[in-house]
Amino acid sequence: MHDLLSIEKFLQFTADELLVDANEINKNTTFRSIRTWSSLNALVFISRINEEIDVLISASDLASCQTLEDIHLLLKTRFNGTD
Amino acid sequence: MALIKTFGSTIKGIVSVVPKSTEDNLDLPNISIEDKESLIKHTGIRFRKTDAKSGVDVKDYFSKGIEELLSNLNWEKASIDILICVTQTTTISIPSVSCRIHGDMKFEKQTLCYDINSGCSGFVYGLQTVQSIMHGFNQKNVRAILCCGDLSSQLIEENDNTTKPIFSDGVSIIGIESTEDRNEITGYFNLETAGQGQSAIFTSKGADDKKYMRLNGIDIYNYSVKYVPKNIIDLLEFASKELNFPDYFIFHQANKLINESIRKKLGLDESIVPSSLYEFGNTASASIPITLNTIWENHKKNNGWILISGFGVGFSMASGLIKFEPDFCMQPIEIEL
Repeated sequence: MHDLLSIEKFLQFTADELLVDANEINKNTTFRSIRTWSSLNALVFISRINEEIDVLISASDLASCQTLEDIHLLLKTRFNGTD
Repeated sequence: MALIKTFGSTIKGIVSVVPKSTEDNLDLPNISIEDKESLIKHTGIRFRKTDAKSGVDVKDYFSKGIEELLSNLNWEKASIDILICVTQTTTISIPSVSCRIHGDMKFEKQTLCYDINSGCSGFVYGLQTVQSIMHGFNQKNVRAILCCGDLSSQLIEENDNTTKPIFSDGVSIIGIESTEDRNEITGYFNLETAGQGQSAIFTSKGADDKKYMRLNGIDIYNYSVKYVPKNIIDLLEFASKELNFPDYFIFHQANKLINESIRKKLGLDESIVPSSLYEFGNTASASIPITLNTIWENHKKNNGWILISGFGVGFSMASGLIKFEPDFCMQPIEIEL
């Protein structure tokens, strides 16, 4: 299993990529409310996810998500090829 | 699949023309210095060439480049059989830019002229179009001029800090001529479209009722990374060549994030994937030739073939494996109209 498929590792990855402290976020965090979230950082975040696990998240995918857990569930589904 | 070979013609020279006026992404208003530095780091773009003066016409940039090209190749206007312009920033839709240039520069009646409405993939589409037409000519020696490029700043809304830092103005003029052996293969192309991505880059009305370009950065990234590496792999397979065959891979200069993801997916070394993003930004259909202009005086030749790949607005993607041994390919020229 890839590291990013564990929610703990995904949260650490998110904190690293969005340049926030890991204790500032949790799975229920609304990602749009993260202080460093911007259109550019969203793009960087999505490109880094793609580099790590070869999963693409579209703008409409992102629009359907609210929390970091929502994104993580999407990643798991895509990675497992069930979506 | 639009896998196409071209025969018996090659690029003899490339001239690129950009506005002298330069903007620095570090000077963007209403953005913190940290965000500006992050923007430059991830897009790879520091400087942009802009000529958004009212009344400036892409035709004038093309015309200047054509004069330089003809002079450098020592070609007479009367020897030009084909003049095709690829642009999406015409100031008037009728008549075509190429017919207006033909009239204003006094080309001969024998010259075929038309425009192609295409953006980021336009240089590759234009080159394939020109080479295919040339092969069908009823004469041995054929000469063509292909003009590519946009004055994109005319499509950028003043306070749009999403689109503005990316796009830059510039055009390229490419001289193409028949080779001795008209049946020799001189290009392989893979031309594709993913029209479901048409909303990734589009124009819509701004507050002043003028039309401006809009981007969906995430969707552009997705379409580029999903389709472009495969487009290139399929092309090389069609040409029966390995990834290590082209001397260089010249990608459309979208932004660093996209271009680096494509490079890494193909497993290519940075040394054979040059970029002109830092100095020239995203110059739409001129970005591949402008990149060639910036590296060619110091290039390393191996097989004499390069791979070019344009992708973007449409969503359109086009790659070509072309024989590339031009007589000249000089640094872009800066002009002030």
